[in-house]
Amino acid sequence: MPVLETHGVTVTFGGNVALDDVSIAVRPGEVTGLIGPNGAGKTTLFNVITGMQPVTSGGVRFQDRDVTRWSPGRRGRAGMARTFQRLELFLSLSVRDNVRVAGDIVRSNTRRRFDVAARTEQVLARTGLLDVADLDVSALPTGRARVVEVARALMTEPVLLLLDEPASGQTESESETFAELLLEIAGAGTAVCLVEHDLPLVMQTCTTIHVLDHGRLIASGTPAEVQASPAVIEAYIGQEATA
Amino acid sequence: MDTFLTYTALGLVVGAIYAIAASGLVLTYTTSGIFNFAHGAQAMIGAFTFYQARVVWELPTWLALVVVLGVLGPGMGWLLHTLIMRRLRDTEIVTRVVVTVAVLLGLVSLSQWVWNPQEGRVPPMLFGADSTVDLLGVTLRYHQVLCVVIAAAIAVALWWLFNRTRIGVLMRAAVDDPELLKLSGHDPDRISASAWMIGSTLAVLAGVLVTPVMGGTLEANALTLLVVDAFAAALFGRLRSIPLTFVGAVVLGLGSTYLVGYAPAEWTWVGNFQRALPMVVLFVVLLLLPHERLRGTATRSRERYQTPPLPRAALWAVACVIGLVAFGGLISEARVGTLLVGLSFAVIALSVVLLTGYAGELNLAPLGFAAVATLVAYHVGSDATAADPRLSLTGLVAGVAVAAITGALVALPALRLRGLYLALATLAFSGIVSAMLLRDTTPRTLFGHTFVIFPNGNILMPPLEVGPLDLADATTFLWVLSTLFATLGLGVVALRNSSYGRRLAAMKDSPAAAAMLGQRLMVLKLGVFALSTGIAGLGGIFMSMAVVSVSAETFGFTVSLSLVMLTVVCGIGYVSGALVAGLIAGAGITSLQLVLGDIALTHPEYRDTFDIVHHLLLVATALVGIGVANGPSGFLHDVFERQRGLARVPFVRWGGAAVQVALLLAAYAGLLGPALLLFVSVVLWSLLPAVATAWAPDRARPLPLELEGITTPNTLALRQRIDRELRIETEAGHARA
Repeated sequence: MPVLETHGVTVTFGGNVALDDVSIAVRPGEVTGLIGPNGAGKTTLFNVITGMQPVTSGGVRFQDRDVTRWSPGRRGRAGMARTFQRLELFLSLSVRDNVRVAGDIVRSNTRRRFDVAARTEQVLARTGLLDVADLDVSALPTGRARVVEVARALMTEPVLLLLDEPASGQTESESETFAELLLEIAGAGTAVCLVEHDLPLVMQTCTTIHVLDHGRLIASGTPAEVQASPAVIEAYIGQEATA
Repeated sequence: MDTFLTYTALGLVVGAIYAIAASGLVLTYTTSGIFNFAHGAQAMIGAFTFYQARVVWELPTWLALVVVLGVLGPGMGWLLHTLIMRRLRDTEIVTRVVVTVAVLLGLVSLSQWVWNPQEGRVPPMLFGADSTVDLLGVTLRYHQVLCVVIAAAIAVALWWLFNRTRIGVLMRAAVDDPELLKLSGHDPDRISASAWMIGSTLAVLAGVLVTPVMGGTLEANALTLLVVDAFAAALFGRLRSIPLTFVGAVVLGLGSTYLVGYAPAEWTWVGNFQRALPMVVLFVVLLLLPHERLRGTATRSRERYQTPPLPRAALWAVACVIGLVAFGGLISEARVGTLLVGLSFAVIALSVVLLTGYAGELNLAPLGFAAVATLVAYHVGSDATAADPRLSLTGLVAGVAVAAITGALVALPALRLRGLYLALATLAFSGIVSAMLLRDTTPRTLFGHTFVIFPNGNILMPPLEVGPLDLADATTFLWVLSTLFATLGLGVVALRNSSYGRRLAAMKDSPAAAAMLGQRLMVLKLGVFALSTGIAGLGGIFMSMAVVSVSAETFGFTVSLSLVMLTVVCGIGYVSGALVAGLIAGAGITSLQLVLGDIALTHPEYRDTFDIVHHLLLVATALVGIGVANGPSGFLHDVFERQRGLARVPFVRWGGAAVQVALLLAAYAGLLGPALLLFVSVVLWSLLPAVATAWAPDRARPLPLELEGITTPNTLALRQRIDRELRIETEAGHARA
């Protein structure tokens, strides 16, 4: 039973079709990959899912409810969390407070009482950020900064975690640790949706992969199926190579 | 029918002037991303210069126009762009607003220096007042017809510029992505400079045309507020569309003349309402504007602040109270009054720190809320018939509460929009307060009580009395006010370090990420705005008590703008920034002028010199505000950075504190005056970091190589060092080897 489904999502900017009839599903306990060349519409689809981009037509269902008209905040409160391709960190706060404030927000929104500070330390430990917790977040290199965004999203204990190129800027060893973290998060029951250019990472972590090209979904399936798809090879490598 | 046509024609003329002013504003905003608050002030300078050229120098009209439109307008635009605006890339909206506000204040004080505001100047109509033409039975002056013709010509010209010329398209590109424009071989600076030159010329043109149409004499403040009228018109086009801006301008113009023409005679408030109309329209349009989409900002701004931990802040709070009261004991009772005004300004500035420094929202009219609080406190909490009246605690609480509620109401329409709109809404609110409340001197009946909102345009604010505390005594007042400031300051720091404060910071740094985490931005913004205007109201009531006799000028928008500007200059992220800014705005400038005045009295031969210094002081304040473009974190930030070195050498720090106490005791013994004490203390604390470095040279841990050049300057020497350590053979390396 998918946590998230998009139905025929279409987004046009003036005459440009950014997304054309895209339907995907994301299931709990799995990492679902979303790949495609630059400009394929991956981030636009994320923006549609999180409510930051209105659809021209089509809809989004989250936990069996139609959320197409919901604000980003309402979707966030309902259990979506995301990271941003162009980092959206809270630059005036330390690494620890960047993570902690997510807990502050959750606590201010719900009646549930929990120890924000304790959960912050758990999440920092789990994401391997304890050694830089007291630094200004602006002092981190991009790779670590992306992990802070993931940690921040984890603080909300999301049902659906959307990661927009979390591994870009990471070193090879960072990226390996990150893959383990992803599998662990999904293993705990969270539905993870991953936009990523690091194909080894995608192939290693994802159960299902959707491939976008020029706003259209050109393939969906297991890593092996997608790798074998002629349409995918054409989109990535070009016509001549397949000829 | 004839009257209808007359009002329509006059409305079109007024609308035409709004349109000319507004189109300049839209032009600079769309091309540079900077909303020019000084637009009205530029119009004002244009109007005065034209008067000077035409009437005082008796130049022919055409030559006067060439001077104003051909030289002054473009010149001012070019200077603004070259000296100021192009340094504003990568700054927060607060910084951008403050810099143009500083330009506004600078131009106003400059104009009052050159053109004595006591003299009445009636600017001439172009073609004279006697050249008239009859159109459909309505007699119009050439000047009025000309306004409409010029506006129409500008509309066509701008449409053509933006849609049909290369430079116009480039101007639109310049704001979206200057880097990309540079890559395609264009110079964004030059394009933006030409936009500023045109925009500024349009401002000046509006200034030359407006006063003869509106009637009356040239008034610097009224002309400066033309920016709000123009903004109301520009808002119709969301600050982007020139045609819609013209529609807005015409609606405003017709609205104001119909209002005067057709409102029933018993509506005594219509005259005041007409002045406030553009601001009221502004609120209505703000309410109707569509919600803005959340999008990632992802810009890295240059502003940085540190918040002290609570125990250290508490220590400072105690030191602050003791220091202020001790200093108060050294000066005469009249000067204590000045110090009190300064401290109450500091409380008002604290509201700016909370709102702008912590939450990233803008309030350009804290004194507007101070005025509301003062009026409510006065009417609720004092008995005007008593021989020696006192203000009750009920009055104080009511005043603060109403200020907070008013704040929430003012913010409501603008909260869904970007910070700039909120800033403009508050400025408009301040305009409404001065145009309607503070001019309302006729009796009104409300809830069965008949009272005058602002009797005789001046009220005497009675001092507060709560239990044993009677603020009629200056020393008690000083104790109470400094304790109040310290407590509020401590509260604000505690707030910043709390969950609420972190959420404010999150909203300020990335609204998109905060919303995605589930934060209800509106609720947070509304709450912090109400809290901040409540504090402004509290400070305002104390200010009124310290000033005693308050009038509309006490709460003028220039006072508000100076205070906000000085708070940013000092450091908007710091409580100490509020203290220093408040003291400078409320007490510092006054005291300096008093001191200079005293010297001028004893040495009459220097009077002219002191007169110049007096004006220079005001202009210099504005120049300091413009300097914010270079150090957007404020000067206290740099001071703290230097003082941080002292932490390594506690000996020097405690030594400094001991010397400070000794200085204070010496002052009490009469060995040095209060002014000298202040001066020596400032010198002492600015020298201490140097002493500390000399005592114990900085042996800080070296920065890891990969971080060098990121937070430190990226120099050639550094690059060579990196090459050396990575053993990269470079040409320079070969040359050395």
